[in-house]
Amino acid sequence: MDMLQLLFATLIFPGFVFLVVLSFLTQYLIRKLSARMQRRMGPKYAGPVGILQPVYDFLKLLRAKELLKTRYSMVRAAEISLLLGSSSLIASTLLLPLNIYSIGSPYDFLIFFYMASIWPILMIIFASLSMPGPYTSVGVSRLLSILTVSEPAFFTGLLVPVALASSNTKAPLMISIASARVYELWVNPLTLPIMILVTISLIVAFQSKLMLPPFNVPEAEQEIIAGHETEFSGPLLALAILLHDMDTVVSALAIVYLVLGGPAPFSHSSIEGVLLLTLKYLLVIAVATYVKNVFGRYRIDQALVALLKYGLTPAIVAGILGTIYLYF
Amino acid sequence: MTHSYSLYDPFETTILVFASMFTSFLTLFLIYELLKSKRVRETKIYLSGEPEEIVREPSPSVGNLYWGFIKRFARSVFETLINKVQTGSLHEWFSFISSWLGILIILAVLMSVLYLLAG
Repeated sequence: MDMLQLLFATLIFPGFVFLVVLSFLTQYLIRKLSARMQRRMGPKYAGPVGILQPVYDFLKLLRAKELLKTRYSMVRAAEISLLLGSSSLIASTLLLPLNIYSIGSPYDFLIFFYMASIWPILMIIFASLSMPGPYTSVGVSRLLSILTVSEPAFFTGLLVPVALASSNTKAPLMISIASARVYELWVNPLTLPIMILVTISLIVAFQSKLMLPPFNVPEAEQEIIAGHETEFSGPLLALAILLHDMDTVVSALAIVYLVLGGPAPFSHSSIEGVLLLTLKYLLVIAVATYVKNVFGRYRIDQALVALLKYGLTPAIVAGILGTIYLYF
Repeated sequence: MTHSYSLYDPFETTILVFASMFTSFLTLFLIYELLKSKRVRETKIYLSGEPEEIVREPSPSVGNLYWGFIKRFARSVFETLINKVQTGSLHEWFSFISSWLGILIILAVLMSVLYLLAG
């Protein structure tokens, strides 16, 4: 991969431009679907059928006055943290099979998870702590509590299919190879239960990772104002929302490629492949939006118990079953 | 779109990913600095709806003294006023206000007459 290809992949596809556009579209889709489920209209006025509402909201926040509490606020540190989180998500997309110029290597799943899951959440925590306040502290402590269970669940949920699909190949834990072979796990009766367990675990872990109901305890609106995002306003809030949307997109793409097999059995270059890929992505987003709308918010202790029961336990059981399948 | 699964070394991949992260950080930073609002509104810390100065002042404000007195020592007067005015009936509110207005008009006429007589 030469410099020009790296620049194209980073800035255009599947990097910056693609990710930002998909983030806005995904936010629109979630808002519109939620509105329909709640018998509301949803975004309507900005652009055709309100599709430009997320862009309008983003630009409005970016141009709004920043609200500051003097002495204690470190706006620049918060800005840099949020930008670093966004850029790590952009860089992580280069490892997905979406990238035309593949940079895959054995064990690249670990690099992907580090960039797509660890960096963004740590950067959100740094940004929140740079703008301190009483509600921020409560929000961050809740976020850290949730993370101790949700991140291992999300990691194990993704690791099991990748490890199974890329076993007996020259490149273990390589995303491209695992993604191309993972659909075989769905049609094999021995691995089907493992994939079902992984899917259950990931539905729960996806909600908690993105702080969507019923796991939205860190930003519990009305209870602790906006939790870890309470002190964000104007451009900083725009960045935080964009980072959250990018996180949603990359996490959904990870599930689409590593669990649902991406465009397989078709290829990326075929129309059927692109359609199947889009359908799977929409399915993941629709399931997350459905769960978001049918559940109320858990208390922190209820959230942790639910995560342990329905997020981490199925993932660990799937991991044990996967190990048994591989070695016996 | 064609895919060639060329196999890199994990170390090489890590370097490429971090180079990409650095590039996208610079791009995002430049775009953000160009687009973001330069106006900043600073607010003071507040405690239970009051500004921070409330605990710095040696004595409470006149307004706070008035309402403190009314609520604590003249509670019966306060409650009578509330019960008379805030009954929920527009008719009672109107009669209360108009009775006060009548007294105020009489007072104003008296004051005007006194002023004219004194002049």
